[in-house]
Amino acid sequence: MSATRTDAPAKRAAVVRASGGNPRRKERIGFTGWLMAPSVGLLGLLSIVPLVALIAMSFSRVRLLGGVRFEWVGLDNWARALGDPELWKSWGLTIGYFLGTLGVEMALGLAIALLISRVTRGRGPLMVLVLLPMFVAPSIVGLLGRYLVDPTFGLYAWFLRGFGFGGDVLGNPTTAFLAVTLMDVWEWTPLIVLIALAGLTSVNPSVLEAAALDGAGSWATLRHVILPSISGILLVALLIRSMDAVRYFDIITVTTNGGPADATKIVPLRLFETGFRFFDLGYAAVIGLMMLAVTIAVARLFVRLLNGKAAQS
Amino acid sequence: MAGVTAGTLLSSCAAPRTPVPAATGGDPWRRFAGAEINVISENTAPTAAIAADLAPFTQLTGVKVNIVSLELQALVQRVALDMAGGQAQYDVIYADPYQVLAPYHDGLADLREFIDDRTYPPLEGGLGDFVPTQLAAAGSFGDGGQVYALPYDAPTMVWQYRADLFAKYRSRMEAELGFDPTPGPERTWEEYRKIAEWFNGVDDVPYGTGHQAKQHDSLMCDFSNVLWSYGGDYFENGQELGLKGSTTPGRCLLREPAAVEAAEFYRSLVSIAHPGSLGWDWDGVGTALRAGQIAMAPNWHEYAASNESVLPGKVEYAPLPRGPHRSANIYGGTGIGISANSSGARRGAAWLFVNWATSPGTQLSNLKSKVGGGTPTRNSLYELPEAKAAMHRPSALPNMLTATAVGAAWEAERIGLRPKIPMWNECDTALFTELSRMLAGQQTAKDAMNRAADRIDRIVARGWAA
Repeated sequence: MSATRTDAPAKRAAVVRASGGNPRRKERIGFTGWLMAPSVGLLGLLSIVPLVALIAMSFSRVRLLGGVRFEWVGLDNWARALGDPELWKSWGLTIGYFLGTLGVEMALGLAIALLISRVTRGRGPLMVLVLLPMFVAPSIVGLLGRYLVDPTFGLYAWFLRGFGFGGDVLGNPTTAFLAVTLMDVWEWTPLIVLIALAGLTSVNPSVLEAAALDGAGSWATLRHVILPSISGILLVALLIRSMDAVRYFDIITVTTNGGPADATKIVPLRLFETGFRFFDLGYAAVIGLMMLAVTIAVARLFVRLLNGKAAQS
Repeated sequence: MAGVTAGTLLSSCAAPRTPVPAATGGDPWRRFAGAEINVISENTAPTAAIAADLAPFTQLTGVKVNIVSLELQALVQRVALDMAGGQAQYDVIYADPYQVLAPYHDGLADLREFIDDRTYPPLEGGLGDFVPTQLAAAGSFGDGGQVYALPYDAPTMVWQYRADLFAKYRSRMEAELGFDPTPGPERTWEEYRKIAEWFNGVDDVPYGTGHQAKQHDSLMCDFSNVLWSYGGDYFENGQELGLKGSTTPGRCLLREPAAVEAAEFYRSLVSIAHPGSLGWDWDGVGTALRAGQIAMAPNWHEYAASNESVLPGKVEYAPLPRGPHRSANIYGGTGIGISANSSGARRGAAWLFVNWATSPGTQLSNLKSKVGGGTPTRNSLYELPEAKAAMHRPSALPNMLTATAVGAAWEAERIGLRPKIPMWNECDTALFTELSRMLAGQQTAKDAMNRAADRIDRIVARGWAA
């Protein structure tokens, strides 16, 4: 890496020399650039136009009947969002859900990956079984979960009754939040397993042997050898899952639809409700922009961590 | 709010409306033969029945009909966006009074344009054949006299109970409870609660009552029956507001003592109900009753056909109990109307469909359908010998088993009408969220009603956005 950094100015100088000594000429769009221009332009159009419309909506009251019209309301929607306790409760829940799912999925996914990496016989069928939940559509996972905990005929509800829990899992705020979190964990932990396993295969066996010869135990090997070796790939897994976690919607919609007592109404549900149930599109635009800002912040955090990792190595 | 138009970013693409082709004589039902129309409806029993057998309409009119059947929320989204687009992708619209008619009545045609035009086939029995409260609640908005929709279905909440269990334990219950437990509007909600608690102690059924107390529209419906029976209401002149509708309903009345008392009673009722109640909507309650999990429940009368197929002869129906004020049975019916943007032959053909789909003959066919069912909205249908015979077992039209109960429930002093205001969807959400918090033990009944009233007042003050 350091060699690459040292070479970079020299390469830039070479480019400038090759372009006849004029530094401005290297900025001209080349043949490949022109080839890419239509798709890049289209992509820009598809991203920028909706973003501009969204920003305009956030300062407007949007009328639908007789054609879509924006009526300027200044900062009304933003002021309402900042003073809306229900929205901030939803943000609190979203953060709780975000930390809960990512934490459990990372810990569980890594643990399962470590176990599977030690399996030598029957690893293929085992992998199929472990990865299966990932291929189920989220709404189907929600339906499956709802039926399993249904107090009338649900299998899990029947088991829970045996342990003394006679209530409705999805009817109690605490258990409902845990249930929808665990449904997401069930579905997406396999993705972490898959990514972690890919990382584990890249750990140098000779380093592991050296650690064993030095008398390192399993925990010490995991902490000082394996985790540092695969931390980069785990960060990628975290980045992918965190982007999904901020947009979690399907399972909650199918199971609790935000209830009971708003215990599972995370921000994406509130956004959908505001936009497509109440058709308060100006306020929905504010919530959408808030989500966009949070998503960008989370993504930049992970990208910065990844860059830091790359610089260290 | 500054009423300055910032600019029309996405202007309506609506072209000037093409007039309906003039009549040329001949069969008025065949006037638009060859036209093709799109119908959007909630996935309800009458629509399932009609969609399964469109041949009679096609043979009668020569019009091709495409039916899109959706869950209500998805329907509301599509209708709103279709009206915004101005193209009338959907000619005939299932106009839920609270989620479509109230907020988007300006996007619906006034059906008097067709009813009063003698070049169209006449409306059989005229408007007077519809149950009057249903025609007003499902078809009108405001004082202008417009008819935006014709009543198409009429689900109404009634007391559904296991008649076999009541028969088995009647004398024992009467002796132990000190009153005749036979369900009916003379029973009080307090007595209903005592009956439910009594059933909690017998082996035939795990719980006495079940409720649709999920954080959902169903919770508002279930609670409203109790609210009105205790003398509470959402706004001043609630019944009038439910019939006519308004964009300015005034201050919310949920802070009043009667509403708080109703909420307190409802909390105590759900506390002794099947624990699944907190996660059930109307489907959940229906399933639980049929699965033998509960002995009774308030639920929509359109479940009668399903009840009869699973528990033949065992489920009976009565108007809901009364509170200190009255017996109230929430009405959940809907009308069908025509998009104001529909034009040309499609507009005329859409009226033929609305006329045909709400006719007594079609409603009777729906009742007989193997895939559908129906909750007829025509007075004349209930007078047919075939329909009268089906009100008693053995019944070929099981939904008619509820006719006596719903007939009583539809009387002006018993029907329960929620506010027909454009922003009801959001008010409804505020109410059932606060009720859900109350049922979860997070707040008292008084706090729930106060918070709901505060939120509803804020929503109403903001006005209708779309």
